[in-house]
Amino acid sequence: MTRFIIRRLGGLIFVLFGVSILTFFLAQVVPVDPAASALGSNAREEQIEAYRRKMGLDQPAVVQYANYISRLVRGDFGVSIRTRRPVIDDLRDFLPATIELTLAAMLVTVTLGLPLGILAALRRNTWLDGAARLLALAGGAMPIFYIGLVLLGIFYRQLQWLPGPGRLDSTLQPPAHISGLYVLDSLLTGNWNALRNAAAHLVLPAVTLGAYSTAVLLRMTRASMLEMLGQDYVRTARAKGLAESAVIGLHVFKNALPPILTIVGILFGSLLSGAVLTETIFNWPGIGRYATTSVTTLDYPAVMGVTLVAAVIYPIMNTLVDIGYSVIDPRVRAE
Amino acid sequence: MNLLHGPRGIVKSMAVILILGMLLSACGQPAAPSAPAAEAPAAEEAAAAPSGEVSRAETLVYGGDFTDLITLDPAVVYEFGGTLIVGNVYETLVSFNPGDPTLIPVLAESWDVTEEGDNWLLTFNLDSDATFASGNPVTAEDVVFSWNRAIDINLSPAFLLTDVCAMTTESTTAVDAATVELRIPQTVSPQVCLSVLTFTTAAVIEKAALEPNMGEDMGQSWLNDNSAGSGPYILDRWDRSVSVTLNANPNHWAGIQPPMKRIIVQNTPELANLQASIETGDADIVFDLGAEQAAALEGNPDVTLVKGLSLILAYIGLNALEPPLDNPDVREAIRYAVNYDDIITLLGGNAELVQEIIPIGFLGHTGTTPFTQDIDKAKELLAAAGVAEGTEIDAIVPNGTGPGGIEWATLAAKIQSDLAQVGLQMNIQQLQSSELLNIYRAQDGKMVFMNWSPDFPDPDGNATPFASYEARSLAWRNDWDDPQAIELSKQAAAELDTERRVELYAELVDYVQHSGPYVMLYQPTRVYALRNNVQGFIYDPADSPVVSFWLIDKQ
Amino acid sequence: MQASASAASLTPPAKSPRSLFFRRFGKEKIAIFGLTIIILFSLLALLAPVLAPYDPLYQNISDSLSPPSAAHWLGADKLGRDILSRLLYGARISLATGLSVVALASVTGTLVGAFAGYAGKWWDEGLMRITDIFFAFPSLILAMAIAGALGPSLRNALIAVAVVTWPIYARLARGQVLVLRRRDFVEAAHAVGAGHGLILRRHLFPNMLSPLLVQASFDMGTTILSVAGLSFIGFGAQPPTPEWGVMISEGRNYITTHWWLTFFPAIATLLSVAGFNLVGDGLRDVLDPRLRR
Repeated sequence: MTRFIIRRLGGLIFVLFGVSILTFFLAQVVPVDPAASALGSNAREEQIEAYRRKMGLDQPAVVQYANYISRLVRGDFGVSIRTRRPVIDDLRDFLPATIELTLAAMLVTVTLGLPLGILAALRRNTWLDGAARLLALAGGAMPIFYIGLVLLGIFYRQLQWLPGPGRLDSTLQPPAHISGLYVLDSLLTGNWNALRNAAAHLVLPAVTLGAYSTAVLLRMTRASMLEMLGQDYVRTARAKGLAESAVIGLHVFKNALPPILTIVGILFGSLLSGAVLTETIFNWPGIGRYATTSVTTLDYPAVMGVTLVAAVIYPIMNTLVDIGYSVIDPRVRAE
Repeated sequence: MNLLHGPRGIVKSMAVILILGMLLSACGQPAAPSAPAAEAPAAEEAAAAPSGEVSRAETLVYGGDFTDLITLDPAVVYEFGGTLIVGNVYETLVSFNPGDPTLIPVLAESWDVTEEGDNWLLTFNLDSDATFASGNPVTAEDVVFSWNRAIDINLSPAFLLTDVCAMTTESTTAVDAATVELRIPQTVSPQVCLSVLTFTTAAVIEKAALEPNMGEDMGQSWLNDNSAGSGPYILDRWDRSVSVTLNANPNHWAGIQPPMKRIIVQNTPELANLQASIETGDADIVFDLGAEQAAALEGNPDVTLVKGLSLILAYIGLNALEPPLDNPDVREAIRYAVNYDDIITLLGGNAELVQEIIPIGFLGHTGTTPFTQDIDKAKELLAAAGVAEGTEIDAIVPNGTGPGGIEWATLAAKIQSDLAQVGLQMNIQQLQSSELLNIYRAQDGKMVFMNWSPDFPDPDGNATPFASYEARSLAWRNDWDDPQAIELSKQAAAELDTERRVELYAELVDYVQHSGPYVMLYQPTRVYALRNNVQGFIYDPADSPVVSFWLIDKQ
Repeated sequence: MQASASAASLTPPAKSPRSLFFRRFGKEKIAIFGLTIIILFSLLALLAPVLAPYDPLYQNISDSLSPPSAAHWLGADKLGRDILSRLLYGARISLATGLSVVALASVTGTLVGAFAGYAGKWWDEGLMRITDIFFAFPSLILAMAIAGALGPSLRNALIAVAVVTWPIYARLARGQVLVLRRRDFVEAAHAVGAGHGLILRRHLFPNMLSPLLVQASFDMGTTILSVAGLSFIGFGAQPPTPEWGVMISEGRNYITTHWWLTFFPAIATLLSVAGFNLVGDGLRDVLDPRLRR
């Protein structure tokens, strides 16, 4: 047990270490002098020199890296050049928005991709199958930013069925801060007005962000179901006179599920990438847009912070869950 | 990657979500270790008790691209969006009435300028009624504190006080509670300095409110979430990169009672979204629409368009030491190669043709436009200068949308094809504006696409940067060290007689037009779209703030 | 597709694996459709100078934003540049970027992965942990950070996308090597004293090819999308380059008023990516017996 945890943690620490080296390296490559940018255009030479010394920027890269790590360990991500705030404060403001969007997109993916995939497999080679596969093809190949622009144009501007960009109508106050997820927080505080509005605001960006993963899940579900449908034991079950619904439920779906769930896991990670473009189009105040603005303004303390967090979320989640799970189910450790 | 296997994947997904939730609520604790102590209670308060309900009819939603919003501290703010907000929350000693270049009293009920040895002595008598939103009186000590604080912080706009007004922390003294004395050297024009003092950098902050919250950054971060001003509005909250909410100051000292009880300044960077938000009525006012959006809104019965000429000038800088641009004839040839009419057409009525360094609306603007595209003349000049066909020149161009709502890239591509007609090959490199400014400021640009916006409403705000190498501004960045231009700009700035000043500027404009290192392109208009029920909206590019929220009403 | 695939498995074994491959692939109707799209786009790209009615950079301000017409089949953009011509030249860029990224990533990744799998021990452990690091990053965020640090240009965007793409090939190649190593023919080669290089070259690489080819086909599509995405937010190709992502980005302000600026580049992207995905599907069905249905 302990050995398993140590091994997983060891692997995680190695990954985090590598991630921090990579982000640190990126910041070294940037063609902008961090001291001069931090102090603004009026700074005099001697001020810039003093700042360099104070921040240790005159030290060799290895020493700088060591300082960087020792600050990171204390939860100090540095100060953003652009917003002049601690990067950790910015991340605390923006991360919940991304998490909420990602979860909503995952919901879209599962509620659309899974049933459509199953249906398509069961009604193979019908118009329904064809339509589902066409949808999967288009969703997997259409540039996500174009989907967002078009959805906004149709459902917000033309039809006015759904609200526009942002997480909430500008005239509404966000619900009291508990988790930072507006839907969850408004639910917890019984703020129905905000709940309705926040949920409506989620629809278009979640569909946009979820389009690609829905397509992938649909294809995988269909393929996995078809594979199982062709298996001998399914034929046997049918031959035994088992009701079709029982065959599908008991044998086909149950066995088709593992690879499908694997894909769901992988897609969850990939949604963070898509969030960069979706947040830009929908003016969504998440870390994707924060990353874009930070890279655009070459604000590398912020870029380091945001890439680090983005890179850390996923493996940490997985490790924590794996460890937690191995406590419950010892067989996992054998893997 | 170790992933989900079998049915336990479901449990695992749920566990992931649970853990995320737990982590987030941990993140959400206001008392996080690195949060400034003073900020925490305020944030908690705002979250617990959302400020009183204000009806939509009394709320003004003001949309536009506020991506540049990084601070709401008067001493630091220098961005368009930030000065707009800060200008509605804080007040200066003197100001301008919209559309009128005469100074008017605000916090100072009177002032006068006298000579004192080598200095000008500016004496301000504060209005005895003036109070901050907190109810405390505005005193001379607050003024000294605010100005010295801006000088000490020394960020972007501080040069206005330290360079243009030549102020130090010794310059300002509080004689008594209601009298402020400012001493500036006689090399500075007192008129110019007074114009500077209308800008947000010279706004007065309540010392008693800020002092307990100074922290390590002299209160910069505290002022991003709290206000300590005397203006018609109070800062309610700033949701980073989303919106800024202002509430009306219920007891403004001069009795201003804004019809709009709440202002929501909404960040909407995508032009298509901006257009949609005014069409749907989600926003009451939006600004900086492009020509196409404006055209599309033209026939909309619910929307009124208001166009106002800004004081911005779009130009190309030509480095006067970089061959072949070091030859004045080559620079003149480039000025003749550009098709200005096409550019105005591209801007779709969102700009005026201006080919001089002083914009329309300023004293000293001449209105001369000596250049129209003349390919033959340009080729002749180039041939005489010995510039070979196909000579390459590197141009750096900012990203994003430029003044007048045209993409910088589009403008650059247009000029690239104009120059190709006279045999010059312009290579475009698009850069983030911070990176571009670094290159430009280091005098390392060759051709630089940029725009200039004067920092204070006086022709000197343009003439000195464009003409004087010594000011280390635009002329310096373009390596153009010309004694005659420097001398003229100095004379004009110090001249107290208006007529003589106009003559001097005319001379300077003409000189820079043909000898200087610039291709002046156009002066853009700002396009505002208003819902039809909005009244009392005035855009004044020379005022600070450019839009006074307290004048706006809705039917 | 499924019907044809099962029919394919009923046909008697052909003489050479190559003709078997083509026969099977030929039965994948949808994959053939995808291949047709790709060939069509490649031809259009190659023949762009002949086919394009205008120079892709030629401006005519009087045609600014003109809708699709006889003069401009797909309309003109803000500067009056012909969208059809820009699309055709853009096809060259998209295909070339896809090819170079996939080539760069697959060669690097395969070499690293094959080496790790073959050398084993701590080489394997170390190299695979390095790929873990890259897998931890959301690819677009890392690519953006790299492209931003190197300075925005098409070349740097390619490097950035290649950097986030290679690890998958390393994993694939390593997995294949681990499986193949234990196969009889490799052990036999070992037994008769064949050197490491020879074994890798003669026996391992050819057998690793199938899954890599499938992955490469999918990655062509993914790369085209990634580069377009990077260009859209300003970290890829620079104007006036007629890259499809740049074209959509330049047209986004006109989407409510002049739809053709963005619609055609989006459709071109959709078709080419879909083409590669279909071919990838077909290849997988034919080449990977475990997945054949």
